[in-house]
Amino acid sequence: MNYGKYLFIMACFAFLTGCIAEEAPNAEADILTATLADPSKLNREPIVENTQITYYINFNVDMETLAPEFTLSEGAVIEPPSGTVRDFSDNKAQIYTVTSQDGKWSKQYRVIALSPTMKFNKYSFNDVKLVKGGKVPYQQFYDAAGTDTLFWASGNSGYAIAAALMTPSMTSSADYPTYQVDEGLSGKCAALTTRITGKYGAMLGSPIAAGNLFLGTFAVDLSNTLLSTHFGIPFTQLPTYLTGYYKYTPGPTYYVKDKSVAAGMREVPGMVDTPSVYAVFYETTDEVQYLTGENVLSDDNKLIMATAILPADEKGPTDEWRQFHIPFTYRNDNIDFEKLVAGKYNIAIVFSSSADGDHFSGAPGSTLLIDEVTLGSVNPNDYK
Amino acid sequence: MKKIVLSGIMAVCSLSASAQSETTPGILWSASHHVEYSVSAGINLGGASPLPLPAEIRKIDSYSPNMNLSVSGSATKWLGPRKQWGVMLSASLGTRGMETGATVKSYSMEIIDGGGSLSGYWTGKVKTKYSSTILTIPVTAVYKLNRRVKFNFGPYVGFHIKGDFHGSVFDGYLRKDTPVGDKVEFTDGNEATYDFSDELRTFQWGWQGGVTWAAFKHLTVHGTLNWGMNDIFKSSFRTITFNMYPIYLNAGFGYAF
Repeated sequence: MNYGKYLFIMACFAFLTGCIAEEAPNAEADILTATLADPSKLNREPIVENTQITYYINFNVDMETLAPEFTLSEGAVIEPPSGTVRDFSDNKAQIYTVTSQDGKWSKQYRVIALSPTMKFNKYSFNDVKLVKGGKVPYQQFYDAAGTDTLFWASGNSGYAIAAALMTPSMTSSADYPTYQVDEGLSGKCAALTTRITGKYGAMLGSPIAAGNLFLGTFAVDLSNTLLSTHFGIPFTQLPTYLTGYYKYTPGPTYYVKDKSVAAGMREVPGMVDTPSVYAVFYETTDEVQYLTGENVLSDDNKLIMATAILPADEKGPTDEWRQFHIPFTYRNDNIDFEKLVAGKYNIAIVFSSSADGDHFSGAPGSTLLIDEVTLGSVNPNDYK
Repeated sequence: MKKIVLSGIMAVCSLSASAQSETTPGILWSASHHVEYSVSAGINLGGASPLPLPAEIRKIDSYSPNMNLSVSGSATKWLGPRKQWGVMLSASLGTRGMETGATVKSYSMEIIDGGGSLSGYWTGKVKTKYSSTILTIPVTAVYKLNRRVKFNFGPYVGFHIKGDFHGSVFDGYLRKDTPVGDKVEFTDGNEATYDFSDELRTFQWGWQGGVTWAAFKHLTVHGTLNWGMNDIFKSSFRTITFNMYPIYLNAGFGYAF
């Protein structure tokens, strides 16, 4: 009988394997990589996201005649074609449409080209735009002046994916870890709350999500969530201080990540959560274009020039607005001024409702409110 | 369930062993009216498969039919002057199952957990475990080739009593909602589970045909192919975009009174 059984199994297997249909045309419509016809105009690698491409272009390059080039999902086509010269001056966004090989799906990309410096030094968190994702849209903070816009990044897009499996499901944008509230010091302000991510988050080793807000980009990497946060955007000045106002309420029960228990986390009795507020000024290289949750605060990273970190004794709970004023501490004076003015240094400003939230430890409910932040800096020419 | 089927098989075994020559008035009556009875036990080998395999399935990585048992009883009324043709009514209780591993591309998928769900198009590995406890009632025509060999063929109706259809996805990525949606990767040992057990259809039907060989006067061996004609899932279930048909070979032995 056993012989017969195995023969039968093999026959079924051979039958089914022999029946594999011809591969269907590809349904995906992604821009996989982006560059320019003349890559020497690039200040750094373009940032490729699911519906947006951000170029950083060297100073003194004509932004009206850039010719972006793309590689696409197998068999996909793009309109206008790769290599077309288009006008990206005044931060104009150009739209590209990618259509899949099977012709059934298409995706619009917003492509922008920016000069490699951040032109904002005051952040009021009065403006948000809604971004589609999950059951309800989430808010993204931005600052705008003239044609310039600075977008703040957060982990909301990752939370939207984890929360898709959460019960009860979210009902408002304020259920995300990063959102806006009306009770700011002046106008509205940013609110960051540490949340439980549900069973799905726990399954992926991210049982909690701290509210975070930072300069940089967030690219969901579920295999190592620390790598999702790409901290830093180009900055051509020398930062001197970070100042602003905050309120902080720690959540009632502190947890640390523990994959050996079902919930993916374990209670730590008596532990009180703290927020984190810091800024990091660092040099980029061809290999290191941004810092991540893994290395942004490392003590021995040679690329980090200066940091401004809210000291532990100022992190206590407060339900009144408390001002922070943190000078940058330069740990490396070896700044290449030519590289600095060319836009090869980055500034990262980071806020989080749980200081160890990047390692998935914190107290669900911990809430950090942030308002009226200023980044002080000096022009390198003045400094010299 | 397995216990019921196992005790059924034990009963068939003990009948075959001890009741070789016993006759009762009831059987004598039946013989005079050209009605025969038999009981049998067997194993179900096969699976639920789309036909033909859709283009989303790129490779079958593994397959196991698992150990699935069945017991059945049947009555045959022989007709005609030569009693060569007959009609057989049976009832069979058993389990069907399979475990498969496949590599898929842009395969419609919904990861379910409690009340929430994450749906979209999966590219990567899929593991599936299917099992169904099913009562089938075939009505088949029987042809007696000779004293030992009988063929039968006809339709059956089936009632799925309980079962599972669940599994996991890993080593790949889900495009959220559409093939151009956000990419959610599951790699490095991360996997997500799905469970479509509640979507299995209760009523099934199909065709079956087989052959019975009388090895001894009362002991028979048989092989029967059951070919389901409707999807194992409810028609309201849309996540799996193609129909899956249960196709099983039942092989076993029986006792003819």
